Amino acid sequence: MENNTYTYQQRIDALRATKLKHTQEKWDYIGVLDYDDYALILPPVEYREKKHLVSASGLEITDVLYTKFVPKTNHPGGGFFGARICGENFGKMLEIHPVYIDPFSSLAGSFMMILLSYRDPYWNPDFNFSHLENEHKKYKITLHGIGAAQHFCHDMTIGFELGWKGILDKIRHYRTLNTDEEATELYDGLEDIVSGFQNWIGRHAVAAREMAAAEKNRLLKQNLLEIAEINEKLVSEPPTTFREACQWMLWYQIAGKMYNAGGSLGRIDQFLLPFYERDITAGILTDEEAIFHIACHFIHDTSYIQLGGPDENGHDATNKLSYLVLEAAHRLKIPMNVGVCVGEKLDTQLLRRGVEILFEDKTGIPKFLGIDVTSKDFTKNGYPIELGRDRVYCGCNWHAIPGREYTMNDCVKLNLGVVFEVAFYDMMDDKNTHPSVAELWKRYEYHMSRAVDIIAQSMDFHLDHMFQVFPELHLDLLCHGPIERGRDASHGGVEFYNLGLDAAGLATVADSFAALEQRIEIEKRLTWQELTDYLKSDWAGTDGERARLMMKKAPKFGSGGSLADDYAIRVSRLFTNYVIEHPTPKGFKILPGIFSWALTVQLGKDVGATPNGRHAYASITHGPNPEPGFRKDSAPSALAVAVAKVQPGYGNTAPMQIELDPGLSRDEENIEKLMSLIKTHFELGGTQINMNILDKQKIVEAHEDPSRHPDLVVRVTGFSAYFASLSPELRQVVVDRIVTSE
Amino acid sequence: MSSTALIFHIQRFSIHDGPGIRTTVFFKGCSLSCFWCHNPEGRHAYSEIQFVASNCIGCGECVYVCEHHAHQLKDGERFYSRALCVNCGKCAQNCFSGTLELIGKRMTVKQVMDEILRDSAFYESSNGGITLSGGEPCLKSVFIRTLLEQCKQQNIHTALETCGNYKWDKLNSLLPFTDLVMMDIKLMNPDKHKQVTGDSNKRIITNARQLVLTDKPIIFRTPIVPTVNDTIEEFSEIVDFIEELIELRLKRGKASTNDANIQLELLPFHQLASDKYKHLGQDYKAAQLIPPASEKMHELAEIAKKHAIDVKVR
Repeated sequence: MENNTYTYQQRIDALRATKLKHTQEKWDYIGVLDYDDYALILPPVEYREKKHLVSASGLEITDVLYTKFVPKTNHPGGGFFGARICGENFGKMLEIHPVYIDPFSSLAGSFMMILLSYRDPYWNPDFNFSHLENEHKKYKITLHGIGAAQHFCHDMTIGFELGWKGILDKIRHYRTLNTDEEATELYDGLEDIVSGFQNWIGRHAVAAREMAAAEKNRLLKQNLLEIAEINEKLVSEPPTTFREACQWMLWYQIAGKMYNAGGSLGRIDQFLLPFYERDITAGILTDEEAIFHIACHFIHDTSYIQLGGPDENGHDATNKLSYLVLEAAHRLKIPMNVGVCVGEKLDTQLLRRGVEILFEDKTGIPKFLGIDVTSKDFTKNGYPIELGRDRVYCGCNWHAIPGREYTMNDCVKLNLGVVFEVAFYDMMDDKNTHPSVAELWKRYEYHMSRAVDIIAQSMDFHLDHMFQVFPELHLDLLCHGPIERGRDASHGGVEFYNLGLDAAGLATVADSFAALEQRIEIEKRLTWQELTDYLKSDWAGTDGERARLMMKKAPKFGSGGSLADDYAIRVSRLFTNYVIEHPTPKGFKILPGIFSWALTVQLGKDVGATPNGRHAYASITHGPNPEPGFRKDSAPSALAVAVAKVQPGYGNTAPMQIELDPGLSRDEENIEKLMSLIKTHFELGGTQINMNILDKQKIVEAHEDPSRHPDLVVRVTGFSAYFASLSPELRQVVVDRIVTSE
Repeated sequence: MSSTALIFHIQRFSIHDGPGIRTTVFFKGCSLSCFWCHNPEGRHAYSEIQFVASNCIGCGECVYVCEHHAHQLKDGERFYSRALCVNCGKCAQNCFSGTLELIGKRMTVKQVMDEILRDSAFYESSNGGITLSGGEPCLKSVFIRTLLEQCKQQNIHTALETCGNYKWDKLNSLLPFTDLVMMDIKLMNPDKHKQVTGDSNKRIITNARQLVLTDKPIIFRTPIVPTVNDTIEEFSEIVDFIEELIELRLKRGKASTNDANIQLELLPFHQLASDKYKHLGQDYKAAQLIPPASEKMHELAEIAKKHAIDVKVR
């Protein structure tokens, strides 16, 4: 035991086993986790308590509170609002957070609590938005963006350059230059956070020394001593070695999760590269060690990263580290969010390695990014191409310019199914109108524009008040501007404001329009009134079921050359053009995307039966994807063509979700074919690909009994997760996709 | 001139029928009737009703529209008589539950081309193209000649998947527009060939010998079917024949290099078609056959390799 040595792979295996144990504990205690695997560890049994709340992405979730932490309040109705108290509370949280060190890991730290979950109420009631609520209700806009947190990206190089002392000095310097109340309050909050960080890191250094003293195994003892040494330095100094940089990064990233569930990371293969090259040259790092340190980071942080891609001049920036990071993901085989860039001038070997790993691991990792398209599309907003290239992949479906752009990405959703339903009954209830598809389209257009308008007003309201409610203190630290200007990123602290708005349920609407035109207007198989009665009864009885199947069987979006294909393009264009032409009343740009995240089940519950043969409250379709079973052969190329055609095209994405034949063997020919599929989708205008190659039998078994395959990882959407973590409804969505894709 | 053809499926992203990403067009009608055929819907040169009883919701619409009384509902029980059915497809037009479907759609060359062109970007990026399959596509040689010609005008790689059982002229007329021929060689014994496929292999053998005298790349395909050709002796006869064909091609100097550009693919028999037989009301005589194990396939492939044949197991 004392002289036991462990290989890096053995240490990774030990770390993975511990993670699985932690995950199992979460399943037992919390139950369903329909979102990213946050790598959270439960607080000690005697200090934990469950709480139901709305996440930063707008999902109703259950989180766990650490009962030893009780936040201060500053409002008569309870809750804590504004930079000063948020900073104080978060600083306190860091100070009391239990120490976590796994002796097998080269890095210290993990997290057990999220400040966001202690917000009660969620929004400061003094900032009343009841004037928006009628239309929020009418269009069931639950994800309107008011109160949305994080979902933009910091610039890690700021932290690597300054370290905690440097950041503190920077705050203190600018405090003397910006002396208004808003700035002063922000600086108070930021200073408390930095103090909290320093305390938290320092306590780990002490604990590591204590653990080292008690550790019998020589290798682990040495490891703990190194951890102690590294963290004694990082309390104030910036990192200088690769391992130190990984440790600094881990502290910052897990604190982001702890503050407001942030998960952006970005171009890890670029900002870690100088450390890697320096250490390799100095002979103090090997590639195996680099892979291990990266793996030790990912075991506790599942943040979103981009690998490869162009530099600002368009030259390929793929490097050795891009491959090592991918290799770390391959060795871990846990839920992770790794995006591999694919582009005309980029190294295709990285794509090849990504595809090989997809075949080998069957975990839906990595995903693929059409970086040429997203960076070029971004210029349509009036930005130079260099900025487009700098806009990194760092969230489920989204990109942001590190440290310079506030985006609200993936936080604001327009359920097109609801807009359609409102338009449909608006028409049918109007006794002065003869129903027709043309008339319905006119009303759909109107209601879509009303819904977007109300969202735009909501975004303005959010930007007016978020800094007084729950400012972005954590991200502010590593952004260009908030400290310099004394303004939170949500309130003028950064350079660019491009607010993301995603449409959801595209195919549900396109197929509905097409089925109406086909069955009522062209074939005259039923009347508008008959259809309406069927919808209201949710297709009751044998006649209803026959009508439902008749509507459902009309050629669908994705089948190629169908009415529904045309409608999908029209629906996407209409949304895109309106959003682009209508910034918020205060002039902020809104960028359209099509993405429903993991909300297809939840958003579907807001929509009654629809003319595409969908039952009331069933899931709406996923992002820009056609409905599963859109063609008899469910051909991936048909899917790729269809999704490429409905891209909004302004820099935000409409990711293609694709499940591939699990029987596909991993031979050179199939790897080439898959690479062609990916490249061609992007050449046709596609922006992102989330891909699974899964064993159908295993999925079906795990759906029936999740405990049979606790380590099964799937790409649910932009994020990957343990299949066993998902709710039965979301598991069903994944199963349906896979079963109908054969 | 035939302006239309009966097609039972156009499969996009077809990755098992030739190089790269392809679109495979399946024609109805075949000059053989191999008892193990995995595409029974391709056998007959007419449209036919596929009947999946388990999907029926009992709406009765088929009973109402059928003039030939092929569909009946008695005491809540549903009956379908193929003897009375004339395959007119009226019932299928009014069935949305997936119970009744008319297999075989008459299409023009333009309609097929429209579908083919949807994936042209993928052919280019993957060195793929189109494959004409079936049934037996060459039975519609006039139609497919036009189709192949139009594909070549668009620079699309073309492949023919054929059983080879017809007059040489048919295939020969298509070769100017065909980049790859995939021809089945199922068995060398003519009597047994007739017994298991419904016809002798005489024309197939002749056509194969003619084909190697051209410079077209060829993939000969052999489905490995228990009781048909999976013994060492029977398979070795096939291998000997392929060897003879390669020698023939090299001797005639048609191949540009020493490489004869002839491959052999071995396709293991499988049972995936059993439901299709049931739904088409056809007798599935291969129901009891057990698919060959992977070891068996590789054992046979080794025999071909010993004869320096470029062989692949699919």
